[in-house]
Amino acid sequence: MKKASLIVLSVLFVFSMFLAACGDKNEVKNNTPNASGNQGSKEEAVKEEPPKKDISLRVFSTFGGTDAARDAFQAALDEFTASNPNVKIDNDTLSANDDGFRTKVNTDINSGNEPDLLFYFVGADAQGFIDAGKVVPLDDLLNEDANWKNGFSPSALENVRQKDGHIYAAPLTGFYEGLFVNKKLFADNNLDLPTDWDKLKKAVETFAAKGIIPLSAPFDQSHYIVEHFILTAAGPAGQAKGLADGIDPNWEKGYAAIKELYDLGAFPKDAATIDLGMASNYYGEGKAAMILEGSWAFGGFSGAEVKENTTVIPFPVVPGGAGSGNDIIGGFGSGFYLPKSTYDNADKKDAAIALLKHLTSPAIIQKIATANGGTPAANVEITGLPQAQVDGFAMAANSASITTPVDSKISPETFSTLRAGVQQVVTGKSTPAEVLQEAKKIEDANK
Amino acid sequence: MKGDRKYIILFLLPTAFLMSVFLYYPFFKSLYLSFFRTKGFFDKKFVGWENYERLFTDRLLGEATLHTLEIMVYVILFQVGIALVLAVMLDHITRLQSFFRTVFFFPVVISGTAISLLFVLFYNYNFGLLNTIITSLGFEKVLWLSESNALKAVAIPTVWHYVGFYLVLFLTAMSKIPTDYYEAAKLEGISGLQKTVKLTLPLILSDIKVVITLAITGTMKVFEFVWVISRGQNGTEVLGTYMYKKAIVDQNFGYGSTVAIYMVVFGVLLALLANRLLKSEEFTY
Repeated sequence: MKKASLIVLSVLFVFSMFLAACGDKNEVKNNTPNASGNQGSKEEAVKEEPPKKDISLRVFSTFGGTDAARDAFQAALDEFTASNPNVKIDNDTLSANDDGFRTKVNTDINSGNEPDLLFYFVGADAQGFIDAGKVVPLDDLLNEDANWKNGFSPSALENVRQKDGHIYAAPLTGFYEGLFVNKKLFADNNLDLPTDWDKLKKAVETFAAKGIIPLSAPFDQSHYIVEHFILTAAGPAGQAKGLADGIDPNWEKGYAAIKELYDLGAFPKDAATIDLGMASNYYGEGKAAMILEGSWAFGGFSGAEVKENTTVIPFPVVPGGAGSGNDIIGGFGSGFYLPKSTYDNADKKDAAIALLKHLTSPAIIQKIATANGGTPAANVEITGLPQAQVDGFAMAANSASITTPVDSKISPETFSTLRAGVQQVVTGKSTPAEVLQEAKKIEDANK
Repeated sequence: MKGDRKYIILFLLPTAFLMSVFLYYPFFKSLYLSFFRTKGFFDKKFVGWENYERLFTDRLLGEATLHTLEIMVYVILFQVGIALVLAVMLDHITRLQSFFRTVFFFPVVISGTAISLLFVLFYNYNFGLLNTIITSLGFEKVLWLSESNALKAVAIPTVWHYVGFYLVLFLTAMSKIPTDYYEAAKLEGISGLQKTVKLTLPLILSDIKVVITLAITGTMKVFEFVWVISRGQNGTEVLGTYMYKKAIVDQNFGYGSTVAIYMVVFGVLLALLANRLLKSEEFTY
């Protein structure tokens, strides 16, 4: 008898451990409001006036690690908790440079472990969880609060609109990409800035002969090469079509131009095996004269002299390209999402919306933009920026068109195929047409 | 004794449960996913055998398989070989034996990613350690990770990382050989190399088999060295990095899962083949 009851007890114990392990996820989602609810009712019993309930919000963003705006973002959160002492904020971050970032966000959302506010990309990246109804459209909230809505510059709001016509993400700062040029190296070698293809070719030849890397870029993480060569080859309209309805013949010219530059010795000798970080390192150390990068890159350049001598210009049009020579890549590629689970949670809803409005208020947008050099989503003036970043803003302001990168118009696997094609084309293993056909095949299979 | 069995089973259950949750469930989920075309996390459609058809026509997968096999050859020849030679030498000394054992074992506890980053700084063309040394000696810079070299360059840290592990396994096996054998050998007049080849090695043959099987299955999982040092470029793509690229970078979990299934099947087949080839009588002492 005794033995049997012991077994039953141990079985019960083991199973309770399983249950505890399984129940963990739900605890985060469901129990928090209950727990805080209990606390609230206890306090109600003690005090006569009901105080605000204690709420804990998990904010997931990329403002961590080496991000230039990390401190500014933390300060913005602290500001909010100082005026709302009942709210606790869990500042959860992961670097956007990491492929794991997308996986983490999507797994969280897919498994019912949504953060209470989510900072994530807009466009094709977000379409999955938007279609699944995991986040709330912000249109009504924006229309109800004119003060909040008018804080944004209208073009920024238009930029984050999804295909279905709704706005799901409140933008903070935008970005631009361009050709980062080390003015000093150009001046020292009596070269004009590469404002057109011939000047670029001359610069490449001159630098290559002198043992300076002309254009620092990796072939595997060739995101910015592919984006810029396709944009200037196909023009904004030709690029925006993507590959869904056939291959724009101009795209081939982009790849042909990459090969032309490669044959002149434009890229680092080890371009095949370095990553973006190392490419940026070559430029930042003054070993390379040019690099294709985005507005976030300033913080990564290590040499102070390089930083001072950098300017940003639009990438010149490749031979026969349809671009105007003043088209740039940029936009508001990310913003704060309000997950449906938070919106439906009566305890959290108001606090989360208040925090959302606080984080996207013009004052905070100004601080974040000052920190990370991005284009502000509000009509605020950014002062005290280094000359290179002022040049960058001027380039964006004076550009003929600003287009979002080509990877927001095609599936991730198609973009990988285009990236992998860079080395194939420059080494002559594939022709531009073959690479594009392969990419088209992948795009079709992904429909 | 009979009553104990129930408890033994009871205490085995948690492990079985954890294994099913973290190993078997994902495996069967991969099997399930390999029949779908996925686009991100929220969108998947059933495609039947399409992923498997792609598997057999995929040129990149074929290359990745060959590269994995090439690393496997290096691992079996050099990793197991060097470990065996070092173990034989260490077995002959008594002074400082534990010192050398610790020194050789140490790389095993360092994470592969850290070792890889170290080798990135060795191999870098512009300011790597190797090129700094040879330019200061007056030679031209060498592109260590060129298309013909890259796989060998990646194989070096891969081999080096685990030599110590197999060394310890071999040493343990050798220490289990009863001294009577050696005494008998001494009486018969066998010593030196002959003693090693005719006595030590045959007596630890079953351990060598285990180590080779471990080396084969371990090579199937090579990932971080390739990913960090060369990002799978210049002919270094292996099965691990190819699967990661398909599943995580491309978010094509369907085809990524198919590649994973292929890796499992391929690994099991290789291990079986190795066992068959190395089949011999077991020694007991």
